Amino acid sequence: MIAPVVVLVLAVLVGVWATRFSQRAQALLLPSCTALALLAAWHMYSVATEYELRSTQADGAVETRLIRIFPTPWDTLPAMVELASDGRLARYAMASLFRVLSGFALAAFIGIPLGLWAGWRRSVFLAINPLVQGLRPISPLAWIPIAVLSFGIQDEAAIFIIFLGAFFPIVTGTMTAVQSIPLVYVRSAQNFGLSGFELFRRVVFPAALPQIVTSLRIALGVGWLVVVAAEMNAVNSGLGFLVIDARNMGNRYDLVVAAMIAIGLIGIGLDWTVRRLERLDEVRWGFRNQQ
Amino acid sequence: MTSWATENSTSGTVFQAQRFGDFPTMKEALIARKIDATFMIAPLAMKLVADGVPVKIVYLGHRDGSALTVAKDSSVREFKDLAGKRVAIPSRFSNQHLLMKRMLKERGMAPDAIELVEMAPPDMASALAARSIEGYIVGEPHNAKAEIGGYGRILHFMKDLWPDFISCVLVVRQEIIDQHRPLVQELVQGIADSGAWLDDPEASLDHRKRAAEVVGKLFYNQDPKLLEHVLLNADRVSYSRLVPPKDTFEEIMDLAVETGVIARRMRFEEYCDTSFSRAMREPRPLIAFPPPPVSAAK
Repeated sequence: MIAPVVVLVLAVLVGVWATRFSQRAQALLLPSCTALALLAAWHMYSVATEYELRSTQADGAVETRLIRIFPTPWDTLPAMVELASDGRLARYAMASLFRVLSGFALAAFIGIPLGLWAGWRRSVFLAINPLVQGLRPISPLAWIPIAVLSFGIQDEAAIFIIFLGAFFPIVTGTMTAVQSIPLVYVRSAQNFGLSGFELFRRVVFPAALPQIVTSLRIALGVGWLVVVAAEMNAVNSGLGFLVIDARNMGNRYDLVVAAMIAIGLIGIGLDWTVRRLERLDEVRWGFRNQQ
Repeated sequence: MTSWATENSTSGTVFQAQRFGDFPTMKEALIARKIDATFMIAPLAMKLVADGVPVKIVYLGHRDGSALTVAKDSSVREFKDLAGKRVAIPSRFSNQHLLMKRMLKERGMAPDAIELVEMAPPDMASALAARSIEGYIVGEPHNAKAEIGGYGRILHFMKDLWPDFISCVLVVRQEIIDQHRPLVQELVQGIADSGAWLDDPEASLDHRKRAAEVVGKLFYNQDPKLLEHVLLNADRVSYSRLVPPKDTFEEIMDLAVETGVIARRMRFEEYCDTSFSRAMREPRPLIAFPPPPVSAAK
């Protein structure tokens, strides 16, 4: 129990000390310290919930065993190595990414045009907005039975769940993006003689684009978030499946936690990638400040 | 069974029943010591022991009680016809899974001749109706559901495939076994007696009918008709001979190791404690059922 306490104290001290360094060094050191402190706290929790089991043997001898309920970070490490070395990690990550990107692409493909249309035409907005807002708060978990009934137990069911998770942020975000374009943009464009599709293509869409990309980023995050729900029943591969499957095994909660960590790390990677996209010049065109 | 044990307790013990929707949650509650005893599928209990969880199988819950169901209009007439088809199993840590492997071997088929997929039992009937699976093998009342629903047909009852099939076993935490022997003894006796009451040769039908009514209402929110359909057919499920049989468990262990479900072969005594079933008196149906709902409704 001493080691994690030492690590925790050290992490806090290094963290405080790190504030004297350059921004760059802080950006690296501070999150590492927080992560280390969290790992130490996790370890302490696992050890604190252990209990002793005393059993009297047939010959009268008393045997004492220490029973651990919750795996420590150290217990999880071999599980990670196991997943990485037998190829499951790469295979499952690819399967999950494929489903999330398919569901996300489908959501963008339908959601962006629909959002643009509804943002531009008041009548379309009135027709679909209440429905969108009504369907949006329903957890993708609730859709699982419907997904399985309509698509069976294969990729399509999982992709459908992810599609639902990503679709609503995209529609809502795109609608709002178009609606919040300053009227002066539209008026001046009209003064220059633009109208109809040209006006839409040359002014409305570019002006809304930065906000649309932000909504795409949120949607991809949600899509990745629901991967566990999506892969819960319908399929037998993927990181979400791994969480559920490891949970079904006897006492393999080390695998559960390892899969959770993998989901988190890939989530960081996805978010980082979309953030790059946001910095493209074409996207920054709108009413964001140019540097 | 718990309410039976409670009602018949001479020492005023109250066994509290807690319903779980799935095995993992129940397993977690057991590992975290939130519950002391539970019924769970036999190989899962063995796997828990293999993974270092201090629990033992103490008694059986029932015999048979499962069936292999296919779509009503399916061309499958016997087990062999399932080759190349997709069949759902409740878990790879279930005896239904091991039974499929056993049957494949028995019929001289390749071990992977049938595609087995894991599925939550409540979803199986609808998956069959949606034709995403050719059939499924699971405990009741999920077979009766498809049968009563008019889209499922029982291909085989367990008594035809693996007579005296063991599905759910009573698992008790080692701590409770060590520190509360009389309590466990009382529970085992209660389960045995309630089983004897259900299988009472003089009035089994009547007793099972009453049990279906009470259980359906009090515990599971299940249609009593569905439970009746299962319980009133003595071919489907039996509540006698519940002492854990060593030879059957050894066979289950062999199958589990062969299939890779459990990594290491364990001795019978490592995962089974038969001291309670040996110390038990002859099971007999004692008092009238149903008990007042006060103690049962938890």
